[in-house]
Amino acid sequence: MELIWFAVFALLLAGYFALEGFDLGVGLLLPVLGRNRDDRDRMVAAIGPYVLANEVWLVAVAGTLFGVYPLLEGELLPAIYPLVVAMLLAWIVRDAGLWFRRRIGGARWRAFWDLMIVLGSLWLSFGWGLVIYAAATGFDGPLMHPLGLLLGAAVTLLFAWHGRVFLGWRLPGFAGPARTGRALLASGALAATPALALLGGGMSYMLEHSAPAATLNVLSLMVLPFAPIMVGAQVWIWRTFRPGKGADLNPSFF
Amino acid sequence: MDALDLARLQFALTGSLHFLFVVLTLGLAPLVAIMNTRWARTGRPLFERMTRFWGQIYVINYALGIVTGLVMEFQFGLSWSGLSHYAGDVFGAPLAMETLVAFFLESTFLGLWIFGWGRLPKWAHVACIWAVTATAYASAFFIMVANSFLQNPAGAVAAGDRLALVDAGALFTNKTLVFALPHVLGAGLFTGAMVLVGASAYQLRRRTHEQEFFTRSMKTGIVAAAVGITLTVAYGYAQFGGIQDGKFDDNPAAAVPLGLMMEGGNLLSMVVLLFMLPLIRKLPRWRWAHPLLMALTPVPFVLAILGWLARELGRQPWMIWEKLTVADAMTPGLTTGMVTASLTGFVAVLGLLAVVDYVLIARVVRRGPRDLTLGATATEQRSPALSH
Repeated sequence: MELIWFAVFALLLAGYFALEGFDLGVGLLLPVLGRNRDDRDRMVAAIGPYVLANEVWLVAVAGTLFGVYPLLEGELLPAIYPLVVAMLLAWIVRDAGLWFRRRIGGARWRAFWDLMIVLGSLWLSFGWGLVIYAAATGFDGPLMHPLGLLLGAAVTLLFAWHGRVFLGWRLPGFAGPARTGRALLASGALAATPALALLGGGMSYMLEHSAPAATLNVLSLMVLPFAPIMVGAQVWIWRTFRPGKGADLNPSFF
Repeated sequence: MDALDLARLQFALTGSLHFLFVVLTLGLAPLVAIMNTRWARTGRPLFERMTRFWGQIYVINYALGIVTGLVMEFQFGLSWSGLSHYAGDVFGAPLAMETLVAFFLESTFLGLWIFGWGRLPKWAHVACIWAVTATAYASAFFIMVANSFLQNPAGAVAAGDRLALVDAGALFTNKTLVFALPHVLGAGLFTGAMVLVGASAYQLRRRTHEQEFFTRSMKTGIVAAAVGITLTVAYGYAQFGGIQDGKFDDNPAAAVPLGLMMEGGNLLSMVVLLFMLPLIRKLPRWRWAHPLLMALTPVPFVLAILGWLARELGRQPWMIWEKLTVADAMTPGLTTGMVTASLTGFVAVLGLLAVVDYVLIARVVRRGPRDLTLGATATEQRSPALSH
């Protein structure tokens, strides 16, 4: 049972990197590829239908951490307290940018919230590099270390590249070459590698600190009936919003 | 203030802020779902416009519900690791269910509903908003399970220095849960309904061109408010059977909000059931009454926060009733500086965003059902102000 829940946790974290990775990547690319407002609108509209379904993977990661690894949760988060707070603020600011940018028509209003999307995406992507470094040192080292900063830059570049592949798939001809679904799948797998490295290193420690069988059984019994619906809803998102089919026809909410 | 006071203040402020948005989400979701269903069934443009207008308010409000919720979720680990250490094997399960199942589905279906407008088959689109409503209610259920465990740690026994889950059935049928959940859901419906009434009163007072739209909305709001307040008050009193002994004795910090909430709830139930409901046909035309209806709009929000203050301050000094104190639940080594920094950051950013969010909602109410982004089509006639 511990192994199954570790697999669930791993899937959620890897899924977050693979999916939210391109949302953050497109956010990072806004100032690079979105030179005018129309371009930025198109870029945000491209990720719009996916963001809500993607960012919840991390919400689920945190919930699973609490339910399956309560002891770890109480150790890990306080150990990197300032980093978690800063990343939460980045996440909040990025989301606010998406929700608010089109609520008022003014150019400066939208430019301000676009900037929030860029800064939020940047700090969140970079923060993941620092988290990976902290995890590699067993949450014992300093939060700011040259190696950590390097990892932050690497994750940021990785997400930006993944975002670019996503744009090539969703908006063929917008910037760079058109990409196939298979290319997007490959870049997603690559974007998930930092998460897998994180999990590989922590696997035995995590398995030892799983919640007792009674708790895991209750969780399994309650989650299992909903698992097909969760998978189905995610698949439905990808089927509904695939490119073509007048994907760009209606004004986007984000 | 020491780190403990600051951590408590941070939880109280972010939690209250979160609930201001959640309580409206819980109320508007079923109302928007009903409007959407009516539209799908009759095909009438009036119901389409109602779905889009109240839906737009619902989703703008939802944005702050998400971002404040993120802070709530992570705060348990940041500030209260003593809780997860002592009771994580029990308390963590409902929280995991809330995030892993309920919110995961809610967010996914909301994305489908917002962005699938005009792309999904009609009834599939309706199903999405009902799924959002159902999962929002499920979220409320799991959060109330977790909270009720803190009030009355049923289904768990101490094993060594930690609590172990021995009876999941007892956890999910906690006596402090069974009446509190419908109380909260009723309060949500009442809050959402009073927003319909207040916003419609504002428009009708201004002699809006949208007479039919806002008359209809006000009537829907009044009926829903009557249902909501009845549930809230009835299940509010029903809770006294399961309350902890002596919870409100010698605890004015909890007893005062409790008293205010009850007085306010009783008064409002009389206003709704004896005045608004019997006069439902007249009220949309009685312009003199509209300022009163507008003034009532914020009251359910205030009462909801008072309710949480009563429930949570009544639990002090316990984190888990007679098992773990709040002081023992705080993360060891948490310094005043750390909490001050995060408290400032969260409250400043979320506070500002909350203000922006309410301004945006007020703007939608003021402009009425035109130029809505939600459900807009490319061919739709847009006013010059928004087209560029």
